[in-house]
Amino acid sequence: MNGVKRQWYDGMAHSEDWWAVWLGLIMFFAGLLSIAGIDIVGWQAKPSTWSEFAKAAKPAGKAWAGLGMWGSIFVTYCVWTVLTCIGAYFMRLDVKKFFYGWTCLFVITWAVWLIGREAHLAAPVNQFEKYGLGWGLSLGGGASYILALGVGLIIGNLIKPFAAFIKEACKPEWFIKTAIVYLGIKVGLMSMKAAGFAFEIALAGACATVVAYLLFWPIIYTMARKMFCLPREWAAVFCSGISICGVSAAIATGGAIRAKPIIAVMVSMLVVVYAMVELIVLPGFYSTVAPDQPIVNGAAMGMTVKTDGADAAAGAILDELMRANAAGRGINWEADWILTAAVMTKIWIDMFIGVWAFLLALIWVYKVERQPGQSTVGASEIWFRFPKFVLGYVFCWFSYTAIAVIWPQVIDAASIGANTVQSPMRTMFFMITFVAMGSITDFSKLRGMGRLALLYAVALVVIIAPIAYFVAWVFHRGMVPPLAS
Amino acid sequence: MKSDMDMVIVHDGEKWIASNEDLVVEGRTLPELDACLARALRETGRYSGPKVTVFMGFDFNTIPSWIRQYGSHYFNRYVHVEV
Repeated sequence: MNGVKRQWYDGMAHSEDWWAVWLGLIMFFAGLLSIAGIDIVGWQAKPSTWSEFAKAAKPAGKAWAGLGMWGSIFVTYCVWTVLTCIGAYFMRLDVKKFFYGWTCLFVITWAVWLIGREAHLAAPVNQFEKYGLGWGLSLGGGASYILALGVGLIIGNLIKPFAAFIKEACKPEWFIKTAIVYLGIKVGLMSMKAAGFAFEIALAGACATVVAYLLFWPIIYTMARKMFCLPREWAAVFCSGISICGVSAAIATGGAIRAKPIIAVMVSMLVVVYAMVELIVLPGFYSTVAPDQPIVNGAAMGMTVKTDGADAAAGAILDELMRANAAGRGINWEADWILTAAVMTKIWIDMFIGVWAFLLALIWVYKVERQPGQSTVGASEIWFRFPKFVLGYVFCWFSYTAIAVIWPQVIDAASIGANTVQSPMRTMFFMITFVAMGSITDFSKLRGMGRLALLYAVALVVIIAPIAYFVAWVFHRGMVPPLAS
Repeated sequence: MKSDMDMVIVHDGEKWIASNEDLVVEGRTLPELDACLARALRETGRYSGPKVTVFMGFDFNTIPSWIRQYGSHYFNRYVHVEV
């Protein structure tokens, strides 16, 4: 029963979700060794804004400075190729195809990353003099993200044979979940400086998520049934897909109500394509319309953009665009708080899907398709649907917070390893996610989706986006990230 | 929950199919599948108790591979069959 989950530990070696935890924890513990004075993660290549190409990247750790730019990129490739290929082997992917695809993804990612950090594209206005610039776009790290996404979309829509060639390695959910585990380290480090603010974002995110859930689902379900005349099963799966956490929710709901799997598959195709549209449109829109509401924008993004990959990607672009915008007005917000607001809201949504699917399963089995005494639903279904990468995220977050509280004298040493893992490693996985996500997004799949595609567009524009923004505004208004030191 | 019998369930686009090494049953809906299962179990005469608990785990490997990164579980169900 290979594809069946029965024991609580089933899937630990074979699912992308668990492998995000394993990759996350490997580097988490490797980074912690800096407490003992050993930097074994400093080989990771780290790009920076450049006007001379020779300074475009360097090893993250001082102890590894001898590697230089190309040496560190090569070691980064070797280490991550080995680790991801081991993961691919256990996930029963075709390792040979994965290796070729991963290598292409890595090369494309680093090429666009380095190009995107060129000073004319990335340098903020207040650093033009430092780089000798007469003009610039001041996009910060956002330039690399936008380029990566653009290149991915070109591959996915215009160079389809190449997209098929790298498809085995295009696992944006795996990559982004790994990055989110590393973000847990970042949130832990940020909590050391601003614990109250971090917990305020988490708490407000939880409240906002519950409120949004209670509004989105019933409104869109009613709309799907009454206005678009969708059958009950289609309406429920569609509703969860667009209202909750995208593909995961569509699968969870489809399973919970025992819908034919094709329903979840069709809805998933829509979710993936629309998530890309949201990712392209919303960061620029929010940062232009509400430049002084960074955390509201981040949280609204978390509630609106479906799939973890697209949400984290949109949050990362929003973070860069809003900080670049604020820098132009002389305000230097600390990096990643806006991204954290987007991801934290999404994580609450992800965690709740197991419970929601369980409730739906009970309603379906005991009310809708009632057959007394015949079929039962196990509570283990909640665990099977729980997003496991959240465990890695929370573990990393609380571990660093605990270190700060219990063992404050080692914070500086711990930060050496942590800063490598939470910054260049995490950003690299964000970048790879962008390229991979673009490569698997084929807009032509919208063809033939008819009223389902129309309903998605209407629900997104008329219900989800406005309500998400309103709820985010109610719970997060006035919150701004701490100023960068 | 303990079961007397384990089966793997899939959907082939038209009907649900539950199977193990000894038995294959089909139905266009789950109630139809359960009825078919009850008939098949009665015919085998292998189970003597009043009720048989059957575990059905959906084979997630039948879901398209590109979706599997977003989720790894469809559903499990326990069916109580009166034999």
